[in-house]
Amino acid sequence: LTPSLRTRLLIAFGLVAVPPVAMLAASASSLIASSLEESSRRRLGDALGSARGRIDELRREAEARLAAVAREDLAEPPASVADDRTVASAIAARRGFETFEIVATTGRVLSSHHWSAGFDLPEQGETLADDPPLRRVAVAEGFGSVPRLALMPSRSARWRGLPVTIRGGPLLDAAFVGGLGRLMGVETGIYDAAARSWIAPPDSPLGRWTVPRFPGLEAEGVETLGGVVHRWAAMRFAGDVWLVVGAPRTLEAALSERFLRLTLLASLAALAAALGAAFVLSRRIARPVRALADAARRIAAGQRPGAVSAAPGDEIGELAAAFNALGEDLDTSRARLVQAERVAAWREMARRLAHELKNPLFPIQLSIETLRRAAEQEGAGHPEGAARFARLFRESSDTILDELRALGRIIEEFSEFARLPRPRFAPTDLNELVGQTVALYRPRAGQVLFETLHDPQLPLVPVDRDLIARALGNLVANALDAMPDGGRLLVRTAVAAGEVRLSVEDSGPGLDAEQQRQLFTPYHTTKRGGTGLGLAIVQGIATDHGGRVEVRSEPGRGTSFALVLPVREAPAP
Amino acid sequence: VSWRLGVAAALALLGLARLSPAALGPCYGGRLTAGVPRIVLGSNAAQPWVAREAGDALVGRLVHEGLVRLAPEGFPLPALAARWSAAAGGREWTLEIDPNARLHDETPIVAADAERSLRRFLRSRSPAAVRLAAALDGGAAFRKGATALPGVDAIDARRVTLRLLEPLALPLAPLASPAAAVTGARGQGAGPFVPVLPVPGSRLALNAFGSHVRGRPLLDGLTLVALPNPEERRAALRAGRLDVVAGEAGVGRLTATLLLVLDPTRRPFDRPSRRDAVAAALERETLAALIPGAAPARGLLAPHLLSVESEWPATRAPITGLLALTVADDVPPLLSQRIVASLTALGLRTTATAVDSAVARTARAPAKLILWSPEVAEPGLALRELASLAPVPRLASESLDAADAEIDPDRRRALLVEADSVLRADRALVPLCVFPSSFAARDGVRGVRLDAAGTLVLEDAWIQP
Repeated sequence: LTPSLRTRLLIAFGLVAVPPVAMLAASASSLIASSLEESSRRRLGDALGSARGRIDELRREAEARLAAVAREDLAEPPASVADDRTVASAIAARRGFETFEIVATTGRVLSSHHWSAGFDLPEQGETLADDPPLRRVAVAEGFGSVPRLALMPSRSARWRGLPVTIRGGPLLDAAFVGGLGRLMGVETGIYDAAARSWIAPPDSPLGRWTVPRFPGLEAEGVETLGGVVHRWAAMRFAGDVWLVVGAPRTLEAALSERFLRLTLLASLAALAAALGAAFVLSRRIARPVRALADAARRIAAGQRPGAVSAAPGDEIGELAAAFNALGEDLDTSRARLVQAERVAAWREMARRLAHELKNPLFPIQLSIETLRRAAEQEGAGHPEGAARFARLFRESSDTILDELRALGRIIEEFSEFARLPRPRFAPTDLNELVGQTVALYRPRAGQVLFETLHDPQLPLVPVDRDLIARALGNLVANALDAMPDGGRLLVRTAVAAGEVRLSVEDSGPGLDAEQQRQLFTPYHTTKRGGTGLGLAIVQGIATDHGGRVEVRSEPGRGTSFALVLPVREAPAP
Repeated sequence: VSWRLGVAAALALLGLARLSPAALGPCYGGRLTAGVPRIVLGSNAAQPWVAREAGDALVGRLVHEGLVRLAPEGFPLPALAARWSAAAGGREWTLEIDPNARLHDETPIVAADAERSLRRFLRSRSPAAVRLAAALDGGAAFRKGATALPGVDAIDARRVTLRLLEPLALPLAPLASPAAAVTGARGQGAGPFVPVLPVPGSRLALNAFGSHVRGRPLLDGLTLVALPNPEERRAALRAGRLDVVAGEAGVGRLTATLLLVLDPTRRPFDRPSRRDAVAAALERETLAALIPGAAPARGLLAPHLLSVESEWPATRAPITGLLALTVADDVPPLLSQRIVASLTALGLRTTATAVDSAVARTARAPAKLILWSPEVAEPGLALRELASLAPVPRLASESLDAADAEIDPDRRRALLVEADSVLRADRALVPLCVFPSSFAARDGVRGVRLDAAGTLVLEDAWIQP
């Protein structure tokens, strides 16, 4: 199916409007997404930097406190300390240390705050890095101890006159990490790859990351944690210990989704606007074009097209104006043609009528003149005048009567042509109609061999049975007239392509081209005594049924007339 | 002058009257409120044989009474049984019920009550019951389900006879177990106090039992309050809401032993050298110094039960590996932490898991730390109870059997010391330090004491007016 002009215009407008908007939306969406991603990465990078900065700050604070401890507390232990074991706890309470221990140069713990049960035992801590000073230490908890990470700068000091090492600082525990995270507004955790454990608040999604892998010194990526996609960044803290920050991509995703929705809405709006404009424009363009097409169809159907309205000034307007002018010219020409044809028809009719009427009148005139002369001669006393007059009178009166009958027949045919009624349609079995018609003409066949060929698939066709019978009879009569010395006449019915074909084929002398051209001209005849109205009547009947008459003929090879009727509902009367 | 002398005499009498209550001794009346860490059973106090907690042991002691008690030296004293006699060369012991013995519903206690209670006791999980059943005629079969028990016989309304397979040194000592308390057919007790208002898990009110076999307690009543938090107990005592607090530093007695129980059938302690190394690594003096009143353990039992002198291995061969240590939740965390630290220093990366103290005794673990006190404060029974915690070396069993059969106290004690030594030498039971059971009482509360097993005794308590 070929789409209409309006459809094509709509598609064209859509194709022109949507891709740029879509491309713009995609580009903008991509730009926003990359901007958000870059912003998120920068935020995580800043968070790592802040965390590291906070840890350095805590380290400096711890170092300052240790210096004070070495300078003041160890020189003069608090008076409330009754036992060396508890010195570390007293100092820790005074200086605000979460972890604090005094270790002899032999490596034995002299006093520990975080591992109070470990006094006089070899220290169990392990230094993981010097910068920052990170240690994994045993911290008393419950009925035993647990390994914990602590930021523990150390320094040398003297206690009880002996050289010792003192260490102290904050625990890098879940509370510390949670505080860092809250400070920076991101999820924060410390991953101990050696222990495969997380230091993170209990509700942190980082704690659910089972086996993270961090290559190199710094890493970043995206991971689904607790069903939520997170962007993360990690920095090697010390050894196998990583400081990890992360943030859910919820905000990023929400913004991207919102922008994508906006761009989709904009695209749809642009598409709707384009289609609306296309609709209006196509309507303005297609309406006069369609009016022109309708007018052209009316012209083709022989109707008056009427004026096509279009806005003046553009090409369509000019086309409509030209078409209207053409229509007016065509009307004028057609009126003239009709007038001329009408005059010509009247002339032809007058000529034919004069010719037809003149032919019988001449014998009548001759007969009457013969009778007058015979009457004058009888009056002059011609001896054989009476007998001759009586014979001439009889012969002349016969001639006059014959010609008068011919005149009557001519007048009757003209009258019949003029009275050709409007068809009254009824579904008709044309095979049966053909059979009945042919049967009427069989007695006149003489030497002609009659044949009929019926198509059994022929449907019932809405026709005026009497008119079709008359047309078919005319065709059969013409064929019989064309074969006075005998021949073959075939009447056949057939149905194809929605049409019924009733054909009459004779094996007569055939028609040349000039004869074929004049065939349907009224009053043109090649037969003596013919009126030339037979085929005109046939054509008239065919036209009234919405059909046509087809002729195929070659000189010496016979002629075939076909009455072609459409298989359809009866036309409105 | 006479007038002045009269006034002086009146003032002197008033002063004497003010001081008289203390000077005159115990007096009746008043209610006392005692704080304990836990009361698990509460309303089930009528079933002393299932007591698992110190609080419940105290309830059992208040509500129930046995046929005999133990003197601090370990000898039986009359309780519901007024007297007893031996026959058949020490294989038959007949106990005569005190005619004044009454159950809480004032029903006189008869021999049938004692026999029924003994049958119940002999089928209980009490270590003392196990020992007595092994010694009684038909006792072993009875524990396995047989109904006949020829070893226990109520020969008349007041007398019960115990028939032993062989003579025993202290055959009546198992009857001092709280699980051997005599109860009525409906479970009613015969102790100095009658439970009247139990609030399971938190509070139990008791009234004095006027028909108690040793006479009415001095107090009119008692209320036991469960307060798990020591600080809370202390604060309540200071605020006067409690009169006595169990477990609080004050009056103490070394009754419990901190034991490290190593399983010699499982790694890593399946080798004696490793058990030796652990025993040597744990410094008893250091541990004892962490708890006020505690003392380094010399033997398996508290010194008042069995005093021994011992040497401990000094070798500290390192052991590497992982160790899961099960810790009873009544062990002070500081001690447990120190032990974990010492084991870790030895090379064992130790993780401690706390479990309920009653569960810890029976839990199967490569190593467990428990605070143990005997069910019956008699050294023979106590060592047998300890021996049930770990596989017993043959020599130890032989020594214990010999001690049970030895009548002479000195020789018996020597055999028990030998059994203690053999048990310790195997290093499956490593005593670390001896703990005091203690209590604190507000001023004016008198007569409170601890028995040999460390249980609070409130039967003789009174309140100074």
